[in-house]
Amino acid sequence: MTKPGIHLHDAQSITRRSLLAGAVAGAAFSALPMGRALAAERVRFVWWGSQERADRTNKAIAAYKAVNPALEIVGEFSGWNDYWTRLATQVAGRNAPDLIQMDYRYIFEYARRGALMPLDDYLGKGLDIADFGAANIDSGRVGGKLYGVNLGVNSSALLYDTVAWQKAGVEAPAPGMTWEQFGERCLALSKAKTRPGIYGMSDGSSVEPALELWLRQRGKSLYADDGKLGFDAADIEAWFSYWEELRKAGAIVPADIAALDQASIETNALTTGKAMATFAHSNQFVGFQKLNKSELGLSIYPSAGPDKPSGHYLKPSMQLSLASTAKSVEAVIGFVNFLVAKPEGVNILGLERGVPASEAMRKELSGSLNAVDKKVVELIAIITKVATPLPPPPPSGAGEITAVLTRVSQEIAFESITPKDGATKFVSEADAILARG
Amino acid sequence: MATTSIARPQAGVRPEGGGLLHRLFGRQPAGYLFLLPWLVGFLGLTLGPALASLYLSFTDYNLLESPNWVGAANYVRIATADPRFVAAMRVTLLYVVLSVPLKLVFALLVAMAFNRGLKGLPLYRAIFYLPSLLGSSVAIAVLWRQLFAGDGLVNMALWQLFGIEGPSWISNPRYSLYTLVILSVWQFGSPMIIFLAGLRQIPVDMYEAANLDGASKMRQFFKITLPLLTPVIFFNAVIQTIDAFKAFTPAFIISDGQGGPVNSTLFYTLYLYQEGFGFFRMGYASALAWILVVIIGAFTAFSFLSARYWVHYDE
Repeated sequence: MTKPGIHLHDAQSITRRSLLAGAVAGAAFSALPMGRALAAERVRFVWWGSQERADRTNKAIAAYKAVNPALEIVGEFSGWNDYWTRLATQVAGRNAPDLIQMDYRYIFEYARRGALMPLDDYLGKGLDIADFGAANIDSGRVGGKLYGVNLGVNSSALLYDTVAWQKAGVEAPAPGMTWEQFGERCLALSKAKTRPGIYGMSDGSSVEPALELWLRQRGKSLYADDGKLGFDAADIEAWFSYWEELRKAGAIVPADIAALDQASIETNALTTGKAMATFAHSNQFVGFQKLNKSELGLSIYPSAGPDKPSGHYLKPSMQLSLASTAKSVEAVIGFVNFLVAKPEGVNILGLERGVPASEAMRKELSGSLNAVDKKVVELIAIITKVATPLPPPPPSGAGEITAVLTRVSQEIAFESITPKDGATKFVSEADAILARG
Repeated sequence: MATTSIARPQAGVRPEGGGLLHRLFGRQPAGYLFLLPWLVGFLGLTLGPALASLYLSFTDYNLLESPNWVGAANYVRIATADPRFVAAMRVTLLYVVLSVPLKLVFALLVAMAFNRGLKGLPLYRAIFYLPSLLGSSVAIAVLWRQLFAGDGLVNMALWQLFGIEGPSWISNPRYSLYTLVILSVWQFGSPMIIFLAGLRQIPVDMYEAANLDGASKMRQFFKITLPLLTPVIFFNAVIQTIDAFKAFTPAFIISDGQGGPVNSTLFYTLYLYQEGFGFFRMGYASALAWILVVIIGAFTAFSFLSARYWVHYDE
């Protein structure tokens, strides 16, 4: 760092003081990179999720410090919506974090655009995930290359407040009940009025995973293999009508309460004490239980009939990806391995991100499970038996279509549009978005 | 520059002239030096990005891949085939039309109350200015959400005082925008301070003369106060209109960045943000941004043109 000095010599009139200042500044600047080089390698790790997840992750980061003191991991987390905004901005600004919590929905977009690093070279060499099974490894592949390491397996599920259902004397949601029976039970719970302002269920009409499961039970899908919609207006009209009926009867929360839900555990109607059941991802059960005083129960979805498919599928709840620009790659791979394949790391993360994909790690965890974890494991065991294949990854524009589903279902809930018109509107807007790409 | 020869030789600058720097900055290098922090910020952080966004508005930039030139396609789509643009425009115009006049009237009323010579005026002024300082912050938007939610303070008060069971104001598309208008009106501090200064400028002898002639307070207000205040009203109206067009934080926080329920709080800036950062259409978002620049420019130009008919600068 001699540049400032040279520059100063060029100038015609320099005082002794300015020369001194320049020298000090130069020394200070040259000291910076050196200071960093002496300290640990610093990498950034980003994820989305609740405070509970942050606590567990930070604990794992701290624990890894003992394994590899040379790697300094700086964690950043945010909510789901902000997360993707921030990540895209950082990647565009060539400031991508080194280690990225990735979702099945986005891994294709990021991998195809060269933002992620292929990890095949580390398989068996630092990354010991062979016992994940082919399905759980392949869900992290794009175009044959591995870009994501499975952090856990989950499925959409039905959560309910066991105490409230018991108090109301209504049979709680359980596997095997039909959608009609489920609706009747919700209505019965609302009518029992054990407390003013409580309803049987949150408004499921805007919940995309719920719609997807409902479609799969009827032999349709959210997206077809060619990236177009896998259903037509009549299908989603039936969906909207089902919820419309429950809403009018008072079995589910009214529109203005439903609209307070911001797709987070904290704002869900179950957590805010308005609804006594809700749809959520099975791994979120841990977070929900943390924020809910009474004991929660966990069930698979209502069924479409005795010989209809369950619609459930096991999904990588999230994956870990390295940015193509990641630093200290081998050290970071070591940390990833610590989180998914080492008992110490797996025990810290627990089931909060989903049930571990590794058979050995599942066994490892089974000894230390608490009551909450056990329910999640039991549910995943039930779902494993009835699961149907993983759908193709959603096309680009899927995120925007999720927003359209929210908006149209709100329009129906606030009665500015009928379920029939809402269905037509949804399909035409979704088609337009998919065509636009 | 013929005047360079007059420039006084200064320490550190070659007196011969001729150098590019010298020709550029002429005879006031010290002045430009002091201007530099602002100038660097303006060129690097305002003008540069603005020009970049003008270029991007003609591309399909998606943040992850390099931009491709698409000509005027973005502008054509906005003008012909974007229902959400229309929805966002509607919401924003409604917000501007409601919030700006209400805020100005409110600010003027409070300023006039203060102008009657209150004891402890600085204290009150500070207290009433406080919401404006907090106004665009995230915390206030969160507070607003709590106040106007279904079981928020507002509904509790309505129930206790009138026995009315209010809806969840903030999450009902019929009312949500109005709660944001109220939030904006509540932040009347800065126009109030400017009105107060304007009121102080009006010569007292005019009111004395009017009193002698037996003019009522109302008549004095309309014939003296209002006409003499028009330059200040004009200034406040222009500034507040621009601010209202650019409103973002309250709607973003209250609707979790979605502009909901049912697009009822989809401010133009929020829609722009969604397109750019939510759906990765940075090119399209840039085009939206430039259209907003043109709209705000048109409104401001219209205000200045109309000013000649209602703003009195003469004493």
